[in-house]
Amino acid sequence: MSDAIIKVESLRKSFGDHEVLKKIDFEIKKGEVICIIGSSGSGKSTLLRCINHLETPTEGEILFHDVPIKNTGRALSEYRTKVGMVFQSFNLFNNMTVFDNCMSGTKKVLHLEKEECKSRAITHLKQVGMAPYIHAKPSQLSGGQKQRVAIARALCMNPEVLLFDEPTSALDPEMVGEVLNVMKKLASEGLTMIIVTHEMEFAKNVSTRTIFMDDGYVVEDDIPQNLFTNPKNPRTREFLKRYMES
Amino acid sequence: MGEMGILLAAATPGAESGSLEWAVFIAQKYAGMFLNATWTTLYVAVIGTIVGFLLGFLVGVINTSQVHPEDFILKRIFSKILRVIVMIYMEIFRDTPMIVQGMIIYYGLRQSNVEIAPVVAGILVTVLNTGAYMGETVRAGINSVDKGQEEGALAMGMSHVGAMIHVILPQAFRNVIPEMGNTFVNNLKMTSVLNVIGVSELFLMAKTAGGSYYKYYESYLVIAAIYLVLCFIFNRLFALLEKKLEGKSDYVLATEYLDNE
Repeated sequence: MSDAIIKVESLRKSFGDHEVLKKIDFEIKKGEVICIIGSSGSGKSTLLRCINHLETPTEGEILFHDVPIKNTGRALSEYRTKVGMVFQSFNLFNNMTVFDNCMSGTKKVLHLEKEECKSRAITHLKQVGMAPYIHAKPSQLSGGQKQRVAIARALCMNPEVLLFDEPTSALDPEMVGEVLNVMKKLASEGLTMIIVTHEMEFAKNVSTRTIFMDDGYVVEDDIPQNLFTNPKNPRTREFLKRYMES
Repeated sequence: MGEMGILLAAATPGAESGSLEWAVFIAQKYAGMFLNATWTTLYVAVIGTIVGFLLGFLVGVINTSQVHPEDFILKRIFSKILRVIVMIYMEIFRDTPMIVQGMIIYYGLRQSNVEIAPVVAGILVTVLNTGAYMGETVRAGINSVDKGQEEGALAMGMSHVGAMIHVILPQAFRNVIPEMGNTFVNNLKMTSVLNVIGVSELFLMAKTAGGSYYKYYESYLVIAAIYLVLCFIFNRLFALLEKKLEGKSDYVLATEYLDNE
């Protein structure tokens, strides 16, 4: 029995002949905030999508509290209720109001009492500063607002881990801050998170561990103080240099 | 017959009368029949289309469902068989004329000693036809919903079926409403071919009414007007439904939570 919540073991993922992930191993413990950085096409998002089985791993295993996750069926659904996901494109349900979006999981998946669903939705919408918008439809919100609602929706499930797939990449620059602030707050409250991001400052300041990925490999996995100021691997160094220049 | 009867029985147009007079005369003389036939046309179309839509949604859902290689083997076999059945059904009903389907179903059932009323056979043909066409429409409607919607639902632990019911179909439904309106109005008019199996709908009535005075042109003018009015009304109704489902363009800020930001 290890104290890891999620453990990724020898994970490989190919699309056709193209191998996107090449034997990935890492784990996340309770309270950790892991930021995954790397250039586009390095496999970061695919890794995150494999973790909650939106992509089926070609080889290897995802373990949740030491239990391997199957690709289908009830056990997978149950696992997904405990590992939330926030997407780059928000994926709020367009046919529902903000309120209904936040109650969709608790009502239709967890089958909680109506009052409990409501109170969780309000609590978490307040937490992200979106409670006044409960009657709005997603199409009536700005990108930053949508993403904050999406975060609230994921929090309503009381997940053990929350996965963020480039949560600010689709946002206008002036909206990035409001989302990052919410995430910072969540980190300080001790929520366990894995965040794929291009926001280097955020990764540096908020993560407890940063992973640099390149060409399907985990190149470096270290505390941000080391990785950003004193990277061991030349590829990490080169990536960071390119980033600072731009 | 009373007052109405006297009024209706009045003045048979003469040889010098114009078509319009004849049309009005026929409409009045056979008002009861036309009314009954309108009713028959309507309910064959309405029941046929509604049940057909349901069938279409089922077909569309089956055609867009995915099986996972790691799914239980029986589930995979069952789903494969279902798909083949659906494919055959859709091909047959989209590749043969409705009038021929009507004949085959009605006389086929009669020959195998199934007593089926023409109206029931008519509804059955309409249902099967609508289902086959709507299946494709629904499939397109489902595919037009952003893939992320399903991923969002799956990621919170919903099953594929749950995601369909709560997230995708409500959106697909909205997308296909214009096409549903088309199909319904089309069905309303296509009921006319059911006269060949003796469904007493508008076309059959016009033929009968026209025959008694040899005034076919005028008689068909009457039912053309009825079809026109019916379709016009239903087109408006579908436009209304579409607007209604669009929802309000603005929303109310829940001010009770404003100070909690």
